Amino acid sequence: MRGRQVSLLANQFWKNAFQSTAFYVLLFAMATITGYAAYSGWQTYRIQNTIRLHYQQQARQGWENNPDKHPHRMAHYGAFAFRLKHPLSMFDVGMESYAGNAVFLEAHKQNTVNFSEASFSTGLLRFGEISLAMILQIILPLVVFFLGFAAVAVERENGTLKVLLMQGVSWGELLVGKSLGLMSLALLFFIPVGIVTLVLLVSAEIALTTDTWLRYLVLMASYLVFFQILCVFTVLVSATSRTSNHALMKLLAIWLVFFIVLPKTTQAIGGYVYRSPSKIEFETTIEKQLVKEGDSHNPDDPHYVALKDSVLRAHRVDSVHKLPFNYSGFVMREGERISSAIYTREFSNLLKVYEMQNSFSRFMGFVDPYAAIHYLSMALSGTDFESYIHFQKQAEAYRYQLAQKMNELQMRYISNVKLGPTDKPYTISHEHWKEFPDFNYRFVTTSSALRNEYLTLTALLMWSAFSFMLIVYVSKKVKTL
Amino acid sequence: MYLLIAKQFIRSKVVQLSLLLLLALGIMGVLIGKQFLQKQERTLSNVTQHQQAHIARNVELHREIGLLLYYLRFTLIDQPDRIAGLSIGQRDVNPSVQSITIRTLEAQLHDTDLNNPSNLQSGNLDLGFVIIYLLPLVVIAFLFNLLSEEKEAGTWRLIAVQSNSTLRFLWMKLSVRMLLTYCMLGGILLFAYLILSLPVNRQLITFILVAILYTTFWFAFCFWVVSFQRNSSFNALTLLSAWLILAVLLPASVNNYVANLYPVPESLAAMVKQREGYHEKWDMDKKITMDKFYTHYPQFKKYGVPQETFNWTWYYAMQQMGDDESLKERMAMRAKIKQRENASRWLATAIPTMHTQFLFNDIARTSLSSHLQLLDQTTEFHERLRLYFYPKIFENAPVKSEDWKKFKPEYTRAENNINITFALLPLFLLTFGLASWGVFNFRKTNDA
Repeated sequence: MRGRQVSLLANQFWKNAFQSTAFYVLLFAMATITGYAAYSGWQTYRIQNTIRLHYQQQARQGWENNPDKHPHRMAHYGAFAFRLKHPLSMFDVGMESYAGNAVFLEAHKQNTVNFSEASFSTGLLRFGEISLAMILQIILPLVVFFLGFAAVAVERENGTLKVLLMQGVSWGELLVGKSLGLMSLALLFFIPVGIVTLVLLVSAEIALTTDTWLRYLVLMASYLVFFQILCVFTVLVSATSRTSNHALMKLLAIWLVFFIVLPKTTQAIGGYVYRSPSKIEFETTIEKQLVKEGDSHNPDDPHYVALKDSVLRAHRVDSVHKLPFNYSGFVMREGERISSAIYTREFSNLLKVYEMQNSFSRFMGFVDPYAAIHYLSMALSGTDFESYIHFQKQAEAYRYQLAQKMNELQMRYISNVKLGPTDKPYTISHEHWKEFPDFNYRFVTTSSALRNEYLTLTALLMWSAFSFMLIVYVSKKVKTL
Repeated sequence: MYLLIAKQFIRSKVVQLSLLLLLALGIMGVLIGKQFLQKQERTLSNVTQHQQAHIARNVELHREIGLLLYYLRFTLIDQPDRIAGLSIGQRDVNPSVQSITIRTLEAQLHDTDLNNPSNLQSGNLDLGFVIIYLLPLVVIAFLFNLLSEEKEAGTWRLIAVQSNSTLRFLWMKLSVRMLLTYCMLGGILLFAYLILSLPVNRQLITFILVAILYTTFWFAFCFWVVSFQRNSSFNALTLLSAWLILAVLLPASVNNYVANLYPVPESLAAMVKQREGYHEKWDMDKKITMDKFYTHYPQFKKYGVPQETFNWTWYYAMQQMGDDESLKERMAMRAKIKQRENASRWLATAIPTMHTQFLFNDIARTSLSSHLQLLDQTTEFHERLRLYFYPKIFENAPVKSEDWKKFKPEYTRAENNINITFALLPLFLLTFGLASWGVFNFRKTNDA
């Protein structure tokens, strides 16, 4: 293969594109959509994070401003966890709109994460959202197909293909040259999106860590591979079609099936095959297990009767009031331990069902490069399924710490002597409240995001390798006429 | 002649594939609807039994009615209609069952159902969505080369010479395609009718009418594009771009626009406010809380200000303050959601895809406004329970004096009043306008 020939072919392809008015219309249309997507992503990020930070701070102030009181009152006063958006969510909104934004964290109870954008949606969300990633994943491929469908086929129609081959250009050079030409056109659309994303990231009012930059780099590299795959396949379809008309029809059909129909259906099939429980079923299971293993709110529960006996024996006293620590705090600590272990177990069972449902789409990466980039992009933008679960787990861990901290304060500082009906309730100093830190959400790290997505990453790289192998194969088999 | 056109059309591979795909997706859409209904049924089948067992268990455990009602949950249900299986709408996110205690409502009202966010993101592929989103693609595949295939195969001149009206010939080709599509649609709807055991009522008939009219709109639209008599590639690209704009870009843009224009911080404000409203009362003089409570409910004034450290009258008065003091935020949130709804609906009127989605959800009672109604009804239900139990708690009535068996889950129904003419008019006008324009285009070129 001769580099000069290849670059000549690529150059010619590039120059040709600028000859048609349709190309300028396309450029203008894409610039408009990209502009809107960037603006909209930036606005959503700014508005939502401002709101959530505001209420996180307000809720924390409320916590710290509490006067001296009984620690168990504080355990019920509780805390809120607000899910902050990752700065890269400006690029790929992913599942953001379907994930809850705020959860109330209190003792004894795991509340649902509420107020997702979807819960306020009028139903239009079903059609999807506009984001820079969506443009790169759905619209730009269509543009690439449009720009490349005639690449080789039109030369065949015009009879120039024969001339080219007779002049000594090899099929390999032709395919690579045209692919490179098409790729450079794709880059003309893709690079501005990359730059816009960069600008958005820099404008985000948040300290950008090396992790964010790493995410950005891997993200852009993945899209480069994605477009490389698309460009090669477009040129190959063009080379193997009798007329450019045929090539276009094939490519449009590919777009419909692989970018619209398959992605819409695979997740639905996953959801259909693996049945997930409703909230009531989920809560009933937990309640049943709780009754079985020990319900701290039931005074006659056998687990707690046995616990009481053993504690009394160990401390050699005959009444809980003589124990060196607050006994009800002790019981609540045990109750929290049990109920939260049951919840964690059931929640991870629920997640297993969800992961089974998602497995269909994951494996689709090997059938459909769109699926691969779709999941990879969400994971790297911190807007995928794992990121949301990560938030839920952190919030639950914080809730548990809060409840147990309050139980321990109660055990240590609250007297065991029962108060009379008009006595002032026991309290501890408000100094303790500030000591307990606020909820601080940490994003998934890039490396664990990539570990979660090793399957889709492999699929994408496999597609790239496959496309090169196809070039070799087609250049040997393809006929000139 | 008619049969020949039909035969020739059916023989095309593209046609066969599109039909097969539509059929498969239609069946899948119906099955997904069925699964949704089954999930709802499973939830509802246990609800009565579950509530009674829950009440019985707690009645045994607790001697004080005040403490008992801290735990007891009462259920209000807005059961989805069978037709919700055709258009699941917002019912997947917003639960149809509200299970509440008589404590602060604001802390309980907005709990969501459990959902896999990946499923939500890809969206329910119910039959309604198959019709709105995928059926147009089949129509496009059928029509983009209606005329151009004849021109490109060189048969158009023959036809122009042989038949006395080319428009009539095109109409015959078009009607074969339309007939086949309506038959498919009818077949899938029949399948849905059998599988989902849909009752034949006003809702179903309206749904079918909208589906037919929506499909006709796409035929009119494709016919209009074809009437400019460009080549197949041009038509295919134009139609696909139009589909991309109508079914993806416009709805998505409107969604982003409305979401950013009307963010709902009031929801978070109400959540934080209700916590303060209730909890701060623990550290205040009881008289402050009781005075506020008696201003709201003068009928309970006789219960006075309790002197003990803890008392259930005071406790429930504090809980009440959680709601009373976050009322402003809750109303603001409600108004904000209404604004969203109105803006989206108004923008959707001129865009058939979005308009039809709203219609389907309205017909199936699965829209956001249905859910807002359920929230209002839950508020009334909650108030009714409070007013019933407050005097019993304040008088510390014995737990056993109450007939607890009578507390069964209650059913309610959020009604949607759809103005049929107003709903169908935009679709009808667009269809009629485009079809006439198309005919005009053909007439013009024929005369020349």
